[in-house]
Amino acid sequence: MSAPAKYLALAGVGARRALGERAALVGYCVFLGSVLFIFARVWKLIGVASPLPGVGPRELVWYLALAEWAVLSAPMVYLAVEADVRSGDIACRLVRPVPYVGAQIAEALGEAAVRLLALGPSAFLFAWFFAGGLPADPRGLLLAPPLALLGSLLWVLSLVLIGLSAFWIVDTSPVYWIWQKLGFVLGGLLFPLELYPEWLQRVARFTPFPNLCWAAGRSAFGFAPVEACALFAQGVGWATLLGLALYALARRARARLVVNGG
Amino acid sequence: MSAIELEGLRKVFRVRERTRGFGGALRGLFAPRTREVVAVDGVSFAIAPGERVAFVGPNGAGKSTTLKVLSGILRPSAGRVRVAGLEPGRDRGQLGYKIGAVFGQRSQLWVHLPAADSFDLLARIYELAPAEYRARRAELMKAFELGEIAEKPVRQLSLGERMRCELVASLLHRPEILFLDEPTIGLDVVAKATIRDLVRERSLSDGCTVLLTSHDTGDMERVCERVLVIHRGQLLLDRPVEALRRSFIPRKRIRVVSEEAELAIALPGVVRLPSAPHKTELEVDLRAIGVDRVVAAIVASGRVLDLSVEDPPMEEIVGAIYGGARAAERTA
Repeated sequence: MSAPAKYLALAGVGARRALGERAALVGYCVFLGSVLFIFARVWKLIGVASPLPGVGPRELVWYLALAEWAVLSAPMVYLAVEADVRSGDIACRLVRPVPYVGAQIAEALGEAAVRLLALGPSAFLFAWFFAGGLPADPRGLLLAPPLALLGSLLWVLSLVLIGLSAFWIVDTSPVYWIWQKLGFVLGGLLFPLELYPEWLQRVARFTPFPNLCWAAGRSAFGFAPVEACALFAQGVGWATLLGLALYALARRARARLVVNGG
Repeated sequence: MSAIELEGLRKVFRVRERTRGFGGALRGLFAPRTREVVAVDGVSFAIAPGERVAFVGPNGAGKSTTLKVLSGILRPSAGRVRVAGLEPGRDRGQLGYKIGAVFGQRSQLWVHLPAADSFDLLARIYELAPAEYRARRAELMKAFELGEIAEKPVRQLSLGERMRCELVASLLHRPEILFLDEPTIGLDVVAKATIRDLVRERSLSDGCTVLLTSHDTGDMERVCERVLVIHRGQLLLDRPVEALRRSFIPRKRIRVVSEEAELAIALPGVVRLPSAPHKTELEVDLRAIGVDRVVAAIVASGRVLDLSVEDPPMEEIVGAIYGGARAAERTA
């Protein structure tokens, strides 16, 4: 049996966990609906002026739905890693012939896959209902799933990285809060980057955050396959960098391992 | 070739010093002070394939740390370690296929899944052929009498049931070496006895080497044939269990609850400890009399409602061994 088969089996565990937590899935759907309802009302009332041609309040609602879809689908895997480190349960996981970090990523991706499938139709229906129809060029929506999937993968990788920081700082919440807020601002979760000042847009484009939210969201602004491919390639580049950072951090973390309770 | 070989193993942890009070905490924030803690200090031993060895000692003696170095979880600070012909720190991936491990206070199963699903998943992780896995699972499920237990989510199982599942999970891939860290901790008397019997039986039938840490002398006596005693990171004693029992566990304690307020027991080698009415506590010197004779005398002298036979606590045994070793040093 090959290594991919092991990871596939672990992803299956994550998927089963997500399916078992039906109340959480419903909660995420309700949250998504609430956010879209509020922002749809706000944008319609204040009439947001977008510098992009053909982008109005309706497209902005769709943007938000797609960006939130990518973000909400990623499970809070840093909490599981932190708990393993704090409790010493990581000892049991390290004995298995499968790398701990790889196993965590596989399980989280399995969970993310279920959430993407469950939240995708909800995001579509809520956006369609609150925006009052499809965006001006609905063909762009076809490009959203691969970009949202990649966005979730980047969230998962960064959250495992945050979880591993427990080896040094024990409580990883501060790191998570900083990362999350940066993701929301520089990733353009609530407003597309195009609405930001020029200098902030330039700063954001040097970070992985636009690939976390903005890349999937902007599919609502039209069908641009070349741009989408470029964003996808950029996302793969960031995933590779995060993967390398994870590898390096996991090696350093092992050297610091002190298992609680003996 | 030995299954496990250790030469001068040393493991040092660097831990942060906690200073008392708010001022100390504040100082620690800006100028943290660390100190070295030597958990294992020059331990050497070898274990032959198929041997069942107990690694015992009081809390903080270094037994769990040694086990974690042997299973590749922790890296040694110094010394040479070989397990199943591999170097655990370097070959952890390969070693995973050759060892099984059960940590009594932790679970290797996925707690939200039924144990049977965890077994399926472990079969994939350990790359077992489907037919081989099905046969092995059936054999172990029967031996450990899991039945419906394996179909319940692990978080709903009692500690004893979970421990049986943990053992099955660790044996699925037919490990050459089984590491057991406090496998009976927190279990009741019946569950303890069951786990001990099962470990012993499986070791005999599979021919796997067992290294068991515990501070319950019962684990050592019922499962193992050899015992290593560790104290403050150093190996204090290495000898057959029977020899240890004769030398250092010469007494047992018998507690009786009887219908009569007091039982009249007068036997050579039996000392009555201060007891309450209806409760009798006896200390039996095994060099003078067997437990069976004392129990027979108790039963003959009144109506017994409850009876337990206990070993002296591990701390007492290690204290005796330590005292003996120091006396021997002084003589030399």
